[in-house]
Amino acid sequence: MAPVYNDGRVKKGNRNRNQIRTKLRVFFIIILAAFVGLGIRLYMISRNNGEEYARQVLSQQEYDSVVIPYRRGDIYDRNGMILASSNKVYNVILDCSVLLGKEEYLDPTLHALHSVFGLDESEIRSFIVANPSSKYKILAKRVGYEEMMAFLDLKKDEETGSLIKGVWFEDEYVRQYPNSTLGCDIIGFTSNDNIGNFGLEQYYDSTLRGTNGREYGYLNEDSDLERTVIPAVDGYNIYSTIDINIQSTVEKYLAEFNEEYKNNVNIANGAENVACIIMEVDTGNVLAMAQYPVYDLNDPRNTDRLIGARQVDVEGKKTTGKPIEITANLVMNDMVDPDAISTEENGETTEEGAGENTETAEDAAATGGEPLLMTESLYVTEESLRLMDDDTVYQNLNSLWKNYCINTTYEPGSVAKPFTVAAALDSGSITGNEYYNCEGFLKVGDHEIKCHNVYGDGYLSVAEAVERSCNVALMHISFACGKETFLKYQHAFGFGLKTNIDLAGESRTASLVYTPSSMRQTDLATNSFGQGFNCTMIQMITGFCSLINGGNYYEPHMVSKIVTSDGSTIENIEPRVLKQTISPSVSAKIIEYCNLVVAGEYGTGKTARPAGYRIGGKTGTAETLPRGNGEYVVSFMGYAPADDPEIAIYVVVDRPNVGTWGAQADAKYATRIVRNILTDVLPYLHIYMTEPLSDKEKAELEEKNLMDTHGFSGEGAELETVSEPSGEETGAEQPADTEAEGGNVEEVHEEAEQPWKDFDIDPNTGYAVDPNTGAYVDPVTGATIGLNENLPGGEAPVTADQDASAIGDAPDIIY
Amino acid sequence: MAGSRSELRRAAEKGFRYFDYNLIVIVLFLLIFGLVMVYSSSSYDAFLTFGNASFYLKKQIIATVVGLAAMIIVALIPYNLFYRVGMLAYLVSLVFIFLIIPFGHEANGAKRWIYISGISFQPAEIAKLAMIVFLACLIRRMGDGIHTWRGFGFVLGMTAIISALLWGVTSNASSAIIVFGIALVMLFVATRDYKRYVIVGVAGAILAALVVIIILANASGVESGNVGGYRGERILAWLDPEAYASGKGFQTLQSLYAIGSGGFFGKGLGESMQKLGFIPEAQNDMIFSVICEELGLFGALALMLLFILLLWRLKIIADNAKDLFGTLIVAGVMGHISIQVILNIAVVTNTIPNTGISLPFISYGGSALVCLMCEMGLALGVAKAIRAREY
Repeated sequence: MAPVYNDGRVKKGNRNRNQIRTKLRVFFIIILAAFVGLGIRLYMISRNNGEEYARQVLSQQEYDSVVIPYRRGDIYDRNGMILASSNKVYNVILDCSVLLGKEEYLDPTLHALHSVFGLDESEIRSFIVANPSSKYKILAKRVGYEEMMAFLDLKKDEETGSLIKGVWFEDEYVRQYPNSTLGCDIIGFTSNDNIGNFGLEQYYDSTLRGTNGREYGYLNEDSDLERTVIPAVDGYNIYSTIDINIQSTVEKYLAEFNEEYKNNVNIANGAENVACIIMEVDTGNVLAMAQYPVYDLNDPRNTDRLIGARQVDVEGKKTTGKPIEITANLVMNDMVDPDAISTEENGETTEEGAGENTETAEDAAATGGEPLLMTESLYVTEESLRLMDDDTVYQNLNSLWKNYCINTTYEPGSVAKPFTVAAALDSGSITGNEYYNCEGFLKVGDHEIKCHNVYGDGYLSVAEAVERSCNVALMHISFACGKETFLKYQHAFGFGLKTNIDLAGESRTASLVYTPSSMRQTDLATNSFGQGFNCTMIQMITGFCSLINGGNYYEPHMVSKIVTSDGSTIENIEPRVLKQTISPSVSAKIIEYCNLVVAGEYGTGKTARPAGYRIGGKTGTAETLPRGNGEYVVSFMGYAPADDPEIAIYVVVDRPNVGTWGAQADAKYATRIVRNILTDVLPYLHIYMTEPLSDKEKAELEEKNLMDTHGFSGEGAELETVSEPSGEETGAEQPADTEAEGGNVEEVHEEAEQPWKDFDIDPNTGYAVDPNTGAYVDPVTGATIGLNENLPGGEAPVTADQDASAIGDAPDIIY
Repeated sequence: MAGSRSELRRAAEKGFRYFDYNLIVIVLFLLIFGLVMVYSSSSYDAFLTFGNASFYLKKQIIATVVGLAAMIIVALIPYNLFYRVGMLAYLVSLVFIFLIIPFGHEANGAKRWIYISGISFQPAEIAKLAMIVFLACLIRRMGDGIHTWRGFGFVLGMTAIISALLWGVTSNASSAIIVFGIALVMLFVATRDYKRYVIVGVAGAILAALVVIIILANASGVESGNVGGYRGERILAWLDPEAYASGKGFQTLQSLYAIGSGGFFGKGLGESMQKLGFIPEAQNDMIFSVICEELGLFGALALMLLFILLLWRLKIIADNAKDLFGTLIVAGVMGHISIQVILNIAVVTNTIPNTGISLPFISYGGSALVCLMCEMGLALGVAKAIRAREY
């Protein structure tokens, strides 16, 4: 029996049924009301928040973009040897949320990370516990390809590999310099963000740099998420004109010089700077450009390289050795008695001191140590390094990173003499047949400007003036030109102008040369022998190349070719003649004169000649500012071979560490370096020997493992056996020999009186001693070498000249 | 109503037994629409997780086929047979709930599923079905006793035990609420007065308000995120989902984004972006938000209208059922479906705090669907027994 409403009592059943229907209706109405309410709610959501939520939906889509790094272009030398290259490395990234996806991932993954990268498991574990939702944690930076592959191999492993999760690799490039210090000043380095600093890296930054690629997602018309990859465009590679072998030879001998003179007088490097440029005469291509001190391109901020360098203060100016305050806990207590220092003194020194002094004073107050007084260090030592603040360290590093060859300006000295002669010859002011009488000085206006040979050389031809580096003759020659012509030629030779070499950091020198209106007679006189105006090494050698190559002024170049990352050539940088400075006939005469500097019996550059070769060139010795401080820049600028120059070389030794007055008139510091470099480099360049070799030279070549190349040249093959030493060979190490030879030569040479020939020879130094002044004199040339307090600087222009000193006071380093 | 009466009359005149084809069509439509939406909302996740975009769809199709078969079988059984065994249904609920203890499978920190010989199902769903049958049977048997406070209390007490067990054993609060709600609806239909329901309703509202106030008071003292209790944070996330965007408010917020971004006509079927990993278990409790996003306000309202039609058909069956038992059964089914639909949409629109309630016929879930189809079978069985002569 089916149950019916109230057991058949229809009336009551109907009443019940109606009641129930009513209730159902009420219930249904409640439902309807709820539905209407919800419908309104839905409508409100989409009306009030529709747009906002639509944006939210789009914004949380993962069209996150991933940057694909570009590869910075490589730098090669002329033979394709790598100077700088970018190598791919990998950052290990941990995605904690993936790793924690399953418990069984944790141990195998951490184990793999530990075994491959040596990461500390417990450290990662604690990071994961602290940041379980972290999606990007760099576990290790810059791991190599092998390590990454080892990890991927573990991941491929059948059993445990599938449990290694949440680790991925991010590409990065790291700049590497396989030769570390080699060519540091040419190449420059990159900072972390791939920006080039100094040298080629900076000059060719935009060429070397590529464009980052990007992988990203976006929503197409149908709002579907699509992923696109824009590949990175790698930077272009550049081929430098540098030859890595020549460069390393040059650097070897510069370092050797430093070793020899390091801590000689001062506890410092062998010279404040010693630099060399080798250039192809007929193209302007730079084959080598180097300096000492050097730094490691892979670790440019290592301050160890600073030790021994000339110290600069927080403003980048050279320190002057003034007293400074330092804190007691940094120095030995017995240096100064702390009690002796009065507060007055403190106040004074703080006032006059640079920013660092105040800082150290504050430090002292903070640490409770007593401020002490000590002398500011002239050269960087371990101790002075410790006392430097970060800014000062940076300034010192900055001066280390600068390229001396293009950045530092200085007075060139006598190497400027060929330019003066060339200007006079080319302008027709002299014919080359003139004779000038040197009496040891020339009175210009009110001033007596001295020759380096204060006893006078007597009558000299133009060729002899260059050979002996006679200032008086050169002054006469410049007067013959007049200042307009002289300055016109100076301008033509590129002084005061940038050479526009393709390296970052070349100095502007426009304010460091005279104009016709600012130049006085005395200025013209001093300019004629390379004092009173400033230049850079690259200006000198570029101009000099035009003197010896027939007058073609080439734009100097460091880069010969730019190629894409897949090797196709974008640009060939051809040699570019900018101007004709002098006529070929004048050029030939200059070569003839400069050859005498090395080959002539009174030549000042005889010690520059490498065994078996004839070369030409010009020595230079310039007194630095302030005049009379006895510090010199000595240099030699030469070329080889002598008759048909192929390469030019310029070596500058800036303030050799030989003590006050020690370097005057002694270009040997530079010529010896030139000799060493050329001995190695000329055979390498397939320039063969033409001159007979002495036994000593043969022994020297043998020792250096160099071949006698006479046989290759075809002509001088028979000369190989010639054993007689020629009179010109002046052993640099044996001044006694020099004296003896000089004595022999004297008989042949009948010139005006040469009083220095009769001076006594000092047994210690080998120099002649002037009985009147007590000064050392070169026994051959008569040039004053040693000091006497009363002796005025040999080549110094008149210090009273205000214009000259104004120019001279200009800072060495111009940006 | 006039239409249905004439229908019934016509059916009787022709000698056919009444069969509610309207209901069947609506149910079939909902089922097919549900399959489409399950596929749309789950394919992305299924492909990522199982490498098979139709992973969830396949299982849901099987459940649908089983459900249809169950519906037909149940519909064919004369429903007064259930009256005889109705009291046993209570035992069935209890047994299945307790089966969870030995056979339960833990997922997301709660045991809700039973795995027996490869088949998994949720005892809570079976309990809902069984409780409808049991309560209809009980109320019918109590006769006028149901009108007394004692009888009323007894029915609620029996239900409360099941609800409490569901809450306690399976930590499934929503199922407990639904079971209790079904009982209230059936009692409401069976009894005469309104007062006590108003009292219950007001009391419930006050209680809920009190809970919210207490939680808020606690929360203001403590730093957010540190608030005591799992449910407490849910309430706070309900009030300010943005503040809990990465925690308890995440699902709700993503669901609101989906609804809001859908606009009036939606982005088009299959074009939801929120289902791409943002709405957790989009094929499940949150499927309505995907419907809103893809089909817009229009599609959502159309679906709600379809549910109203379904409920209306059930109301007609309940109105015209041959006896009180039939009326109560159908009223229970109505209650079940309406409560779940309303609560589900309310959760999705953040009208009430987030709790896991699936959308009948649409959401993915085998045992829920099969049980629902059984309920449909019951309703059809009641409809089938309607005799025209009664009118």
